[in-house]
Parts: sequence; structure tokens; C-alpha cells
Amino acid sequence: MQDIHLTGFGLLSPELVLGAVSLLVLIMDLVWKERGSSRLGWISIAGLALSSFLLILAFDDSVGDTAFGIVVVDKFGNFFKLFTCGALAVVVAFVMGDQRERKDRIGEYYFLLLGAAMGIFFMVGTNNLLLLVLGLELLSLASYALAGFHKGEKRSAEAAMKYIVFGGFSAGVMVYGISLLYGLTGTLDLQVMAGTAEGAGLTRSLADAVTTSPSTVALAMVMILGGFAFKISVAPFHFWAPDVYEGSPTPVTTFLAVASKAAGFGALLRFLAVLFMSPDVAAAVGAYGLQVGSLIAILAAVTMTLGNLAAVRQESVKRMLAYSSIAHAGYVLVALVAMNGDGLEAAMLYLVAYYLMNLGAFGVLIYFHGQTGKETYDSLNGLGRAAPLISVSAVVFLISLTGLPPTVGFFGKLAVARAALAAQEGAYAWLVLLMLLNSVISLYYYMRVAKHLFLKDCEGQTVRPQPAMATLLVIFAALNVIFLLYAEPLVNWTSASMDLLLIGP
Amino acid sequence: MDSLLTLSESTILTWITFIPLIGMAAILCVPRQNMSLIKGIAGLATFIPLVLATMVYFGDFQKGVNGYQLVQSLPWITAGQFQVNYTVGIDGLSLPLVWLTTLLMFIAIPASETVPRLSKAYYALLLMLGCGITGVFVSLDYFLFYVFWEVMLLPMYFLIGIWGGPKREYAAIKFFLYTLAGSVLMLIALVAMYLDQGTFSIPEMMAIGKAGAWTGPELLGMSFTTWAFWFLFIAFAIKIPCFPFHTWLPDAHVQAPTPISVILAGILLKLGGYGLIRGCFPIVPDAFRENAYILGVLGVISIVYGAYVALGQTDFKRMVAYSSVSHMGFVLLGMAALTEWGMNGAALQMFNHGTSSAACFLIVGVIYDRAHHRDLNAFGGVAQPMPRYWALATFGFFASLGLPGMAGFVSEAMTLVGAFQSADTRFQILVLISCLGIVLTAAYILWALQRVFLGPLNEKYKDFPDINGREVFSLAPLLFLCLVLGIFPFYLLDWMDTSVIELMSLLNPGS
Repeated sequence: MQDIHLTGFGLLSPELVLGAVSLLVLIMDLVWKERGSSRLGWISIAGLALSSFLLILAFDDSVGDTAFGIVVVDKFGNFFKLFTCGALAVVVAFVMGDQRERKDRIGEYYFLLLGAAMGIFFMVGTNNLLLLVLGLELLSLASYALAGFHKGEKRSAEAAMKYIVFGGFSAGVMVYGISLLYGLTGTLDLQVMAGTAEGAGLTRSLADAVTTSPSTVALAMVMILGGFAFKISVAPFHFWAPDVYEGSPTPVTTFLAVASKAAGFGALLRFLAVLFMSPDVAAAVGAYGLQVGSLIAILAAVTMTLGNLAAVRQESVKRMLAYSSIAHAGYVLVALVAMNGDGLEAAMLYLVAYYLMNLGAFGVLIYFHGQTGKETYDSLNGLGRAAPLISVSAVVFLISLTGLPPTVGFFGKLAVARAALAAQEGAYAWLVLLMLLNSVISLYYYMRVAKHLFLKDCEGQTVRPQPAMATLLVIFAALNVIFLLYAEPLVNWTSASMDLLLIGP
Repeated sequence: MDSLLTLSESTILTWITFIPLIGMAAILCVPRQNMSLIKGIAGLATFIPLVLATMVYFGDFQKGVNGYQLVQSLPWITAGQFQVNYTVGIDGLSLPLVWLTTLLMFIAIPASETVPRLSKAYYALLLMLGCGITGVFVSLDYFLFYVFWEVMLLPMYFLIGIWGGPKREYAAIKFFLYTLAGSVLMLIALVAMYLDQGTFSIPEMMAIGKAGAWTGPELLGMSFTTWAFWFLFIAFAIKIPCFPFHTWLPDAHVQAPTPISVILAGILLKLGGYGLIRGCFPIVPDAFRENAYILGVLGVISIVYGAYVALGQTDFKRMVAYSSVSHMGFVLLGMAALTEWGMNGAALQMFNHGTSSAACFLIVGVIYDRAHHRDLNAFGGVAQPMPRYWALATFGFFASLGLPGMAGFVSEAMTLVGAFQSADTRFQILVLISCLGIVLTAAYILWALQRVFLGPLNEKYKDFPDINGREVFSLAPLLFLCLVLGIFPFYLLDWMDTSVIELMSLLNPGS
């Protein structure tokens, strides 16, 4: 029995490293106290780097499952795990570069971030809905605490409270939906559900369920999608996002907008792919997937339009970025309407682009917030002259967010547009058109930032140099451009991560 | 690797396109106080492309040869869903516009002297703009075309937004939003066509269009090609701009500083017309033929409406801006006629409008730099203190008016004759209506000249210095071109003719 337990346990080494480092950070915080604030950050980054190293090392051949098949290690999961490590490392760097962050007891901050990363690892690395929910809850719990990390600040406390209430509700809805599926099929394993793997005991595939009790399946699907929609802030489950994003410390907002959202997408993509898109899946289930696709199309249309229209009206840059990240969730969903491998690949490509541009945009916000103490558009006046390098980088991020060449954001939009246009004989052309028109709306509010940076003058704006932060931001800006001019590594990486998902182990 | 960097027939277009970008990089390395060095670099980075383009015009480019010349093609994106090549090349239709671009970019450098709050960023953005515009004219890959098309928006936004007039912020974002709204339509058509036939290569897309091989699905009762046609057409019509997509133009022109207006009127508008004959009509020729009459009507509305509105303007620059709408209407009319004369006239009109409208904006800039306003009714008798300016201004505006002997006359006459010859007899009515536009054009130009230069001298203006050497330096080459091409239009037509015939064979497969 012992042997069976430990088979393939080495596959979990990236997770184990994260767990160990998160505990190490917590302990060293007690030892070093305020002396250790930057050292703890470096330890966290080193831990993330080690974890990514293990992931990269075994990217191609670390395929398998462990813990009685509950944890699946495949390239798709590794893609999102690497993504998470990359995002978290930058978030930790942002915490270190955030001039407004306190210096003592910072270990808790890193501990929570690394704990959340572990939650993400389990969430994207399983075909089992039980572990998915557990990973999601681990991520959520860490996120609630992080949102309220500035407990002295009313806004931050409010954000945490709202987040818990909304999060608890959505998780409940999702679990109820999962329990319905379990009742129908007798299994929590997605592959067994899809009929692409043999289950133990009394199980039956979804193919029977969709014919015998379609309304129950529909209810379950809507509820599960609702749970995902909360995590990726898709309408109508997006109401928490602006308040939580605005109230949380900005590095946490960055984490929620990039890492947490990508994790939600990772789990959603796997859920849809394994259940509906595998070539071995029964015809009835595949056809059902296309209906789910049309539901996603409606969600995408509503989400991006609402997000963009609301973003136009904001006076705070942080709140604008919150609404913009809602809109971007809508764009990613547009790729998914295709319900095929192309769509998944486009969604993943878009997420990488989103990573590059949104981390940059939030970094600029943290940089300038630390300088001016405000987050309004007006506080940016004249900074184009005072901090030209950061401001130019900001413009690169903004046009990348808008989706204009020569930036990677354009490439992402292009991939999404291609996937959705190719789907169903052009039936989703309206959605692509709506997405692109939405990007025109978004230009207005993104350019408003550029307008305040460069077009509005403000006498006496000065900026204290922060070379480390500045270097990081300039590198990100450069990457935004480089990955359009030389997109091959990006494309190759996403398509390499696709293989296993559709073929199945 | 070596051969990619040396100056040869296959790399010369790349050099012409990217030398301004190299200049921009160089400028960014210069400390901001050293303005004379910055100006020197900017001048050099626009002068070298002009020399190279002239060499191409009179040397490397072979007249009367079918197809594209000086082609360079390199794989760009080869992985994944998209196969994109970096392909540049020119034919008789793009060559004159490439040359015009390099000329106007060079002229814009000395013309920028009087722009207030001039800084290093201004020249950097100007050079980036030059790279983007040239890139569009030389691209033979639609993906590349689109990238260049969008790349020039951002510098334009800042050039208007930072160095423009009082309402600059509004004008800049309006320009940006309008153009982007058009380009997203282009993008969706582009991606759909790529999905259909799997190529971004413009010549290949033209061949597919000629063979009628687009197989995309019908949507909402309209065929795939019709959708593609309208999406592409609107994208380019916004840029031309033709009625009813023209409303960004007066704002952008009036708020932009003089050299930017020059580039805007001189080359940016040409991108619209060029886009139509390179990236829209020959790619979906069937849909174009079906809708050509509507385009002709839009062209005529632009001609008459633009001229009529120009008549009502009191702002000198706004008047010239509306005159652009009117003159670019001829381009659309000539193209829509589907005759060789019409197409030649349209291509010629694009070049001629590029020189004459650029000259007009420089002329307006001269008086604005002295009076600091552009109210037509507040001037009067300016001819007395500034006789040389008066002569040049009259010359420039008569060129714009289309006086016989000037370039504008030849091209407008050719478009009208071409439209009259159209197989579609309804075009004859359009020609008659557009003649009304010509009368209105004469009216607003003569009236404006009268109000500014003639009449009793307004005492405020009696000490105005006459036009200076720097201003003449910018203006003279343009006026020279207006005259030379009026008398010897074949200096352009000979270069364009073969390409026009080739284009017509794509548009009219029967003939």
C-alpha cells in the first residue's frame, strides 16, 4: 500500500517547493522581523523560480497522475503553473517596490501569495472536480486575506468583506452544480463523466444524462459556469471586482487581475476541454458543448460591453483598470465560443498577452501611486515630462491593452478573432465585430491615461527615481513589443501546451 | 545576414522605410538640450530616404514592367495559426506616393521651426510617423500593411494632442477613435479572408479575387465578398475621408500644427485612396463592381458638399480642410468609374492633391505664424506688406483650384472624362453634378484670397514681414511640382500607366 501512495509523488515537487518556501518565509519573518522585508521577497522569488525550474525541466515528460489519479500533471497544467509562477514573482517584486507598503511583518503577505499559488497549482492540475473546488477555495481564502491586508484602511477591509460574501456565495452555487453532476453521473472525474475514461463502480457518462434529464444538466452547467464566472469576473458575477480591486493593496489587485483570473480560466478551459472537446467524446456530449458555447458567447458579449462602458466613466485609474480587466475576461471568452482546440490555444495566447500588458499597467500604477499618493487621472498630469521612461512604457502597455500593433496585445486579439471567426461557419462574426468595436471604446479610456501623462501639464511634478521598479517596467514594455515582432516562442509554447489535453492520457 | 543589411535592389525599400526609425532611435539618445543636433538628425533621417526614393524613381524602378518591383520577402511569423511574411515591393501606383511621402517628411522638418513648445519628442514622433506611412505604401503583405497602418496612429495622436491648437485633446482622440473604428473593420475582414484562403499576401489575394475564389459563407443575406468589401471600404473611406465619414478631418486639421497638417493632408489622406486600390477593390472585385455606383455617388457628395461647406468657413485652415474632402471626392469618383482614364486620373489626383493641399496648409501656416489667428474676415490687404507671399499663395491656391496649366486641372479633368466614359451611364449625371463642385471650389478659393489679400489694408498687419527663406524652401518644391505636373503630367503617368492597366484587368476581368 505504501508504494501505491508514493507512486509519482515526485510529480508534485513544484507544489512541495512552494509549500516549503511559504512556511520558510513565515518562520524567517519571525526571526528577522523588519530587517527581513526585502530578504523575504527574494526568498519568495527564489522559491517561485525553483518551482518554475522544476516545471520547465520536466515540461515535456512529466506527464502522469498521482494521489490515486486525482492530481494530473500535463503540459496544459504546467503552462498555467508556469504562468502563475511568473505572475507571482512579479507581484512579489511589486510588493517590494511598493513605496506605500509597510516593512514589518511582510512575511504574511508572501506566505499568503505563495499559498494562493499552491491553490492555483491544484486547481489547474486536476480532472477531479473535488480537488478543483479545494484548490479554488485555497486560492480564494488566501485572496480574501490579501484583499484585507491593509486592515487599518476602511477600503481594504470593505474589499475583503465584499469578496468573502460574494466568493462564499459563488462557491456554494458552484458546488451545488457539481453535486448535481455527481448525482447524474456518479463520478467527480471529468474524463469518466465525458465517457473518455473508464470509471470505477456505478458511473455513467454525461451522454445519457443529457438525453434523459437535460434540464438538470443545464442547471448544473449554469451553476458551475457561474462559479467560474465569479473567479474570472464575468458578468453577471462581476459586481465584486471593481470594489475589491479598488480597495485591495495594488499588488494584490495585480494578483487578482492576472494570476487569480488566469487560474480561473485555466480550470474553466480544462473543464470545458475534457468534458466537451475531446475527440473521443460522445456525439451527444459534443453537441451539448456547442450549446454551452453559445451561452459563453452571450456571457462574453455582455461582459466586455459592460466592462468597457463602465470603465469609460471612472475617475480613478485603478478602478478603470478593474473594469478593463472585466472587459478582457470577456475577450478571452470570445475565443472559447469555438469550443475547439483552436479556441483554447487562442485563449491561452491571449492570457499570455494579458499577463504582459496588465502586469505592466499595474506596475505603472504602483510606481506613480507611490510617487503622487493618488490614483486619479488628474494626479498623472505632467508625469510624462517628469518620468519619461515610465510614461512611455505606460503608453506601450495601454496600446497593448487596446490591442494595437506593434504590441503583443494585438497578436492576442488577432488570435481570438481568428478562433471565433472560424467557429461554426462564421456564426460568431457578430461577436468578433462586437469585440473589436469594444476595443475602440477601450481606446478612449486607455488613451485618457496617456492624455494626462503627456497632454496635460503640471508644474513642479517631480519623481523620486526607483531604478529597480523602472527597470522591471521597461523590460515588460520591451517584451510587449518583442513578442509581436518575434511571436514564435509564444505561439510554440502555447501550442505545445495543448497536446495532451485533447488526446487524453 | 550580410546581404540583408547592404543597400541593394531588394533592400532599398526597407531602408527607405526604416531610416526614419533609426533616426528616431538616434534622437532619443541625444540630450534634450541639444536641439540643433536633434534637428540635424531629423533632417538627415528624412533627407536620405528622399534621396533613395528619388534614386528608385529615376533609376531602379523600371517603367512599363508588370507586377511588383524591388521586392523583398522574408518569413516573419511562421509558427501556429498565422503565416505572415515581411514582404515589401512597389509598383507604379505606390512609387509616386512613396516618393511624395519622403518629400513631405523632409519638408516638414524646416516647417516645424515655428511650432511652439518644440522638443525632442516631437521629432522622434514625426520620424516614427514617417516610418509608418512609408511602410503602408510599400507593404505587399496585408498583415504588415495593417501593422504599419496602426503604427502611425499613435505618433499622430501625440503630435496633434501635444503640439496642437486649443482644442487639441478633443481633435486628437477623435482622429484616433475614427481611424481605429475603421481599422477594426479592416482587421475583421482581413482575418475572415485569411481563414478563407490562408494567405495575407496582397498579390495572392488579388489573384484569388480575380478568380472569384472566395468561398466564405453568406451571412444575413449578404455574400462574403460583399461584407469584406464594405468593411474594407469603410476602413479606407474614413481615411480618405469621404462623406459621411469626414467629420474628424476638420477638427484634426485645424488643431494640428502646420507641418502635421501638411503631412495629414498630403499623405495620410492618400493612404485611404491607396488602400482602396491596393487592399480593397482588386481583392473583392465582384463586390466592388456591384457597388461602384454607390461609391461614385459618395464621391460626388464629397465633392459638392465639401466645397459647399468650405464656402461657409471663416477659419482659413478649416476651409482648406474641407477643400480636401472635396478634392478627394474626385479620387473616389474616378476609381468608381472603372475606366482607365478614371483610374489614372484618380491616381494622379492623389499625388497632385498631396502637393497642392500641402502647399495650401504651408501658406496658411505662414500667415498664422504672423497673425496668430486664421479668421478670414479679420484679414484684408495683406498683399501690400507681403507681396511675395501673395504671389506664392495665389499660385498655390490656383493649383488647388484646378486652374488649367496646373496639376490639379489635369487630374480632375481626367477623372471627369473617365467617369463620363463609364459603362454605367448613370455616371454621366454624377459628372454633371460634380461640375457644380468645381464652380463652388473656384468661389471659395477666390473669395478667400480676396478677403485675405485684397481690399483695404488692416492697420494691424502693415508691419508683417514678407515670407522668409525657410518658408519658401518648404513651399517651393511643392509649387514647382504643381506646375511641372500640370504641363508634363506624363512624368507621373508614364510610371503609373502599366500598373493602372494591370489594376483594371483585375477589376474588369472581362475586358
